[in-house]
Amino acid sequence: MSAEPHTTLLPQSARSYPKPDARTTEATDEVDAARAAAAVARTSDRGARVVAVTIALVWHLVIGLPAVLAARSALAVPHVVLGGWLLVAGLGVAAGIRLLRDKPLPAPPLVGVLLLVDVVVFAAVGRGQLFSPANWVWGTLAWFFLVVLWGRPVRWLLALLAAHAATALTAVALYGATGAADLARSTMALYGTSSLPVAVFAGAAVLATLSRARAATAATTNAMVAEREAAERTRHDRRERLAFVSQAASELLTELAQGEADPTDPQVQRRCVRAATRLRRLIAESDDVPHPLLHELRAAADLAERNGLPIDLVTIGTPPSLPVPIRRSLADPLTAVLADARDWARLTVVSGPDEVVVSLVTPDRAGPDPAGHPPVDSGGQVEHLYERDGMIRWTQTRWHR
Amino acid sequence: MDADAVAPVTPGRPVGVAIVDDHPVVIDGVRAWLATEPRLTVLATGDDPDEVLRAAPEADVILLDLRLHGRLVLDKLAELSAAGRRVVVYSEHSDPQTMLAALDAGAVAFLAKHEGREHCVATVLDASSDRPYVAPALAGAMVGDPRPDRPVLSDKEREALLLWFQSMSKASVARRMRISEHTVKQYVDRARIKYTRAGRPAATKSALLARAIEDGLVRPEEIGIYRSHASADRPTP
Repeated sequence: MSAEPHTTLLPQSARSYPKPDARTTEATDEVDAARAAAAVARTSDRGARVVAVTIALVWHLVIGLPAVLAARSALAVPHVVLGGWLLVAGLGVAAGIRLLRDKPLPAPPLVGVLLLVDVVVFAAVGRGQLFSPANWVWGTLAWFFLVVLWGRPVRWLLALLAAHAATALTAVALYGATGAADLARSTMALYGTSSLPVAVFAGAAVLATLSRARAATAATTNAMVAEREAAERTRHDRRERLAFVSQAASELLTELAQGEADPTDPQVQRRCVRAATRLRRLIAESDDVPHPLLHELRAAADLAERNGLPIDLVTIGTPPSLPVPIRRSLADPLTAVLADARDWARLTVVSGPDEVVVSLVTPDRAGPDPAGHPPVDSGGQVEHLYERDGMIRWTQTRWHR
Repeated sequence: MDADAVAPVTPGRPVGVAIVDDHPVVIDGVRAWLATEPRLTVLATGDDPDEVLRAAPEADVILLDLRLHGRLVLDKLAELSAAGRRVVVYSEHSDPQTMLAALDAGAVAFLAKHEGREHCVATVLDASSDRPYVAPALAGAMVGDPRPDRPVLSDKEREALLLWFQSMSKASVARRMRISEHTVKQYVDRARIKYTRAGRPAATKSALLARAIEDGLVRPEEIGIYRSHASADRPTP
């Protein structure tokens, strides 16, 4: 390694810039816009779910139950009507809890139970109570359809309401209530009890879609802003380093040119090596916003460099996003060894979508091994290798997906 | 076919080298590195490849700075390689994309400028005999090649490239892989030869391949894809 002649090409803008402080740049973790949007949509949908579950249960309890109890003696088979009510109430509570906890509902069996109760209650109310509030399935059942089909396409709900209407009309026909007034009452009842649930259901779906889209836009915008800020900070930081480094380099070159510094002096040679390494590292940094892993390694390299160690940091490829424990198991063993390094160091990172290999090579010298960090638990996903062969000390960490 | 286009080096006389760089101080530096090796002689230098070659048409190897007067001369590199000129590229642009693009264009070897002192002489000597020389920076670029149509490397070849890139010491790689240094070099060189299949055909690539077959580094049947690929690009006479 030597001071390359091409260092003379650097801009001569080096003025009296202060030595840059510890880097303040913080790598911004990638913001997953889609995930953020889904979270917002879920939150806004939650409100609608609470409404749907509340309406179903309150209606069932406050309107359905008193009517059934009041007309109990007039019903054909009161136990069956009441049993159906209890079954649907239990089902509604269980489904509501699952829905509010974001757990998937087994729609087909629940739909089956609801339709069965529909048929049985129509059969059990008797002709006399067919149109009375005691026939609670008229009004309440559609709200339970809503609960068990939440989040599914609207056509499912429409199909279920059609089945409900078919059951009702069949019952009306079989009871012989085919007079114009009865048919009008049936139609009114069906329309009145179906339109509101459909509106709530479709409205909630539209709202969820809208909020998802809006949240996705907002998240993308935020991510862009954050990325731009991080890039701006990185650029600023890099300019400061360039100013500092090229000042050091041009001082050295001036001294050499004026004969004040002796190229055979080991001290001068060491300064040359250091200046060249710093410039090389600056040239090699091409990422606008470093990945958190590269950021950590770069910070460690900067620290070692400020302590006078010529260090190369070469990165190839971009690491995928990695959980913090894995990142730590990749970086920590190397930073520990780096603190103990003398003369020179070479830090490399090779990344692909499924593998990241970080390596630190420093000259070997007599003395004990550096006290390493206790291995971070990465669930056995990161291999750690340390060896010295008399020439070099070689630390390598490797992550496989 | 194209292998004929690369002029063989006359045995018994030193290898003629031409240096193309737009910074005289770099030319002086490279000249000083090459002066340590009696088998090499610098025939001409300058900042324009055409002028330098007019001055020394018999040059066996051209050391070319990839950036001349502020622009990357990959097109010139491709032209020289297609014409059978052995070009060793050296550049301060040691990002993987640039290195792989230089290989695709037909460069015999790529040196990052900071690797010059240690690897320059060996690279030029190997280039003059159409043998691959892979310096650590290039090994890194090859092992991290993300392109979907990259050559398929064996596990051992990848590992040898990776460790060579990391440690810059073939002895250490050999110890780590529990193989001889010679075998390490073979793995690295085989990987490099596979890259003669990437990009468009060039006389220099065919020459590298032909020499690799002659040396027993690769078997002819391993390179079938290259031949068919190359012939598809050219009309059959």
